[in-house]
Amino acid sequence: MKFFWASLKEGLALTDRIMFVCAITLSLWGVFCVYSAGAGAAGRGFDLAVKQAAWLLVSILSMLVIMAVGHHKLLEGAYPLFGLMLLLLLLTALLAPKVKGAQSWLGFGGIRFQPSEFAKIGIILMMSKFLSRYPPLDFKTFMAGLGVIALPVVLVLLQPDAGSALVYLVISFGMLLAAGTPLKYLGGLIGLGLSAVPVLFLFVLKDYQKNRILVFLDPMRDPLGAGYNVIQSRIAVGSGGFSGKGFMMGTQSKLKFLPEPHTDFIFSVFSEEFGFVGNIVLVFLFTLLFFRIILAGMRTKDRRCKILVAGVASWFWFQTFESIGMSIGFTPVTGLPLPFLSYGGSSLLATFIALGLVASVYIEGVNTRHGF
Amino acid sequence: MEILDSRLKLFLYTMTASLLFLVSGLYFCQIYQSDKYIRLAHNNRLRMIRFPAPRGEIFDRNGVPLAVNDTSFCIMGYPLDLNTPAKLERLSKILLRHGIPMSIEDLEKTIKQQRSAAYRVMKIVPNLTMTQMAELVADYDFPRELFPLSVWRRTYPAGTTAANVLGYVGEISEQELETRTEEGYAGGDLIGKTGIERSYESILRGSPGQEALEVDARGRKVRTLDAHQAVKGEDLHLTLDMGAQKLAVELLKDWKGALLAMDVHTGAVIALASSPVYDNNPIAWGVSAREWRAIVFDPDRPMLDRAIAGVYPPASTFKAFMSIASLEEGTINERTMYSCRGGLRLGSHLFKCWKHSGHGGLNVTGALQHSCDVFFYQVGLKTGIDRLIKWGRKFHLGEPTGIDLPGESGGNIAGAEWKMRRFKTQWLNGDTVNYSIGQGYMLMTPIQIARVYAAIANGGKMVTPHLSSKGYKHPEEIGLNPAKLAIVQRGLDYVVSRGTGSRAGRFGVAVAGKTGTAQNSHGDDHALFAGYAPADNPRYVAVAVVEGGKHGSSVAAPMVGELLAYILSH
Repeated sequence: MKFFWASLKEGLALTDRIMFVCAITLSLWGVFCVYSAGAGAAGRGFDLAVKQAAWLLVSILSMLVIMAVGHHKLLEGAYPLFGLMLLLLLLTALLAPKVKGAQSWLGFGGIRFQPSEFAKIGIILMMSKFLSRYPPLDFKTFMAGLGVIALPVVLVLLQPDAGSALVYLVISFGMLLAAGTPLKYLGGLIGLGLSAVPVLFLFVLKDYQKNRILVFLDPMRDPLGAGYNVIQSRIAVGSGGFSGKGFMMGTQSKLKFLPEPHTDFIFSVFSEEFGFVGNIVLVFLFTLLFFRIILAGMRTKDRRCKILVAGVASWFWFQTFESIGMSIGFTPVTGLPLPFLSYGGSSLLATFIALGLVASVYIEGVNTRHGF
Repeated sequence: MEILDSRLKLFLYTMTASLLFLVSGLYFCQIYQSDKYIRLAHNNRLRMIRFPAPRGEIFDRNGVPLAVNDTSFCIMGYPLDLNTPAKLERLSKILLRHGIPMSIEDLEKTIKQQRSAAYRVMKIVPNLTMTQMAELVADYDFPRELFPLSVWRRTYPAGTTAANVLGYVGEISEQELETRTEEGYAGGDLIGKTGIERSYESILRGSPGQEALEVDARGRKVRTLDAHQAVKGEDLHLTLDMGAQKLAVELLKDWKGALLAMDVHTGAVIALASSPVYDNNPIAWGVSAREWRAIVFDPDRPMLDRAIAGVYPPASTFKAFMSIASLEEGTINERTMYSCRGGLRLGSHLFKCWKHSGHGGLNVTGALQHSCDVFFYQVGLKTGIDRLIKWGRKFHLGEPTGIDLPGESGGNIAGAEWKMRRFKTQWLNGDTVNYSIGQGYMLMTPIQIARVYAAIANGGKMVTPHLSSKGYKHPEEIGLNPAKLAIVQRGLDYVVSRGTGSRAGRFGVAVAGKTGTAQNSHGDDHALFAGYAPADNPRYVAVAVVEGGKHGSSVAAPMVGELLAYILSH
């Protein structure tokens, strides 16, 4: 216990304050946006914001715990942790009640959580350990790495949760890239992925998923169905203009033209109320955060940690890019949460746990520089 | 190591570039084209109307309408146009002027209940007649943003006679909406709540029409953006015969219980009556909370469909099953005799026969004919509970029959394992003795009893009871020895032709069956009769369970006889 407090104290002294400031500013801003977004839907805003704030507190505490425990211990336990995540994903696919057609929640003593979010951490720990032990430099080890990632992807697709599967693939791709995989392999992987698109489209994707993609290409093909979200979201963002309509003044979200304003389309709510200026600040905070995460990786001498931060960075970056892109019609609608801002306890908690890992890596980097 | 760092640098470049790309997109949207989007947001005058689809109609086997649609009118409006108390107050006054009492609170509640989005149309005043609607709309003060819409109202011409079969529709609940949005339901839609209306919901519902319009600043339609027609749901023809159903309800009128008839070869249900009855019409149109409570909390439980969800001890009707199980297991044959002296002593307890003076020596057909308890006590002990349970499972006792109605009960097959789990005590010989005459832990629904008797009548096939041909399943062969089954059939024939069930045979058709009297700790004994006809070439099976009817022979047997005679002669 004593060691725990000592390492936490030391960690806080040496840690990356800029990263924390970015993360916490974004999250607090998120709580306000959730309040505003929920206000339209029969006044649930306050409830939602209080819940989100409570989850933020839990998340920050969890991050501190992760920092005190340190990434070394967690990497040591990476294999069993990964196994546990797989088990939880399997349980979810088998047991979870259907929420809006997708099974993604597990109930546990009154608290519901989404194992698919926490599995991202399991994948990152597992892959950083595996890829540094068996560097994917030749074809055999590369295929072995792909084999590892296939397990959670298949399980999460069973739920079915295609959005999370996509995030897992991006995380893994990022980690393979960072682990020094020859570019020809990665190129081959992308080629394979692209050639799979027609197959997916014809045989695998469900009608609503196909529709989302077709609508992405042309929102007006179904202005009242799937294209509706895209059009309304673009109106929300566009009408925000240079300086926005002001906090709580957004009409698109308040009149419920926007679907799912507090989760999937939180950025549209933000954008409508804070305008282009707000967006610049938001994107700047995200960019700075990604820089600091990569910086932690550059400073450490540990291969595993370099790969680890690449995983976290890919995850945050992809969801940010996708969520913002979707609200202006640059990317198809997938329903992925915007990190730190979207309403949802599981997503927020998983994000902060990952941040705790990065902070722990950063502290070690500082320590080695100082010659500890 | 160097390669890892260079790869991390590649990350930085990619991420920065992609985010700059997004910023350029945001610039385009929020600065370059902002005027266009500001105008669109300001003029967001999209309105959506949903036209409910006419529901598929339901008919009996002869085309008699059981559930139909008639027109009524609703006043519709958009939450956008009703957002101030002043507007609601004005509306409430106008409604009151035309004899429709809806306070501001009522209106607020209606709006809050259905509100999904401000631009989606919703019902403000439901269930108006043509005259009411016309008067209201002609009123000079009637708000121009509101408009009348004709909607379908579900009516059940059969009313109380078939309410337990048809069930009723009602407005979709919030819970149902949560789980079924993917199927295209929306707030205010009608959905089957129980009965056939529920089990065939997906066939009956059809698909709603939709129109999207653009309106001007005063809520008047400028143009239609998109429209689909509503498509009527598919009609459904039931196997039910309204004549037989009506007779069954009539026969049960003074009693609580169930009376049903079914085709022994296919499982097509001809009549399915449960008493007391309720009327599904007012429920489908919307009753007040008080009326609703009166129905739901009625101590006689009219909404319990006793034919499929009422569980009763099968009593002596179970003896037919006992005979089959023991003959098949070889513990008795046709010549096996037991002597009945009015009771069987087991340890210190005396298990009595209903005939205290005793039946003397009997074989299995005689025991069925006179419904001798002692004979079956002996047979039960000799065959043993485990073998009885084994045969029970072959007849699917303890599981729902799979009839195409929701809310079916599976009864209880009991047995040693079950007793240990439930009561943590051993199964005793006394339990087997009670079990052998269908008393004690064994519980069955009337439809389960009918299914067992159908199997006896059709030579050993388990049919799946159904009310629509869509619910037909191929019968399942149990594998009974025809010679042994013939012994039981002969016994059941004797019951009516010269035994306890003679009153079932007074309606001009040869019935074979079995009486039963189930002990009831809460009052008078329940009367049961299960039988099929014609006895020599069975076509239909019928079961009557009359709560507090005292004796199967006097109350239940004539009901089955009369119902079977009606069906065979029509």
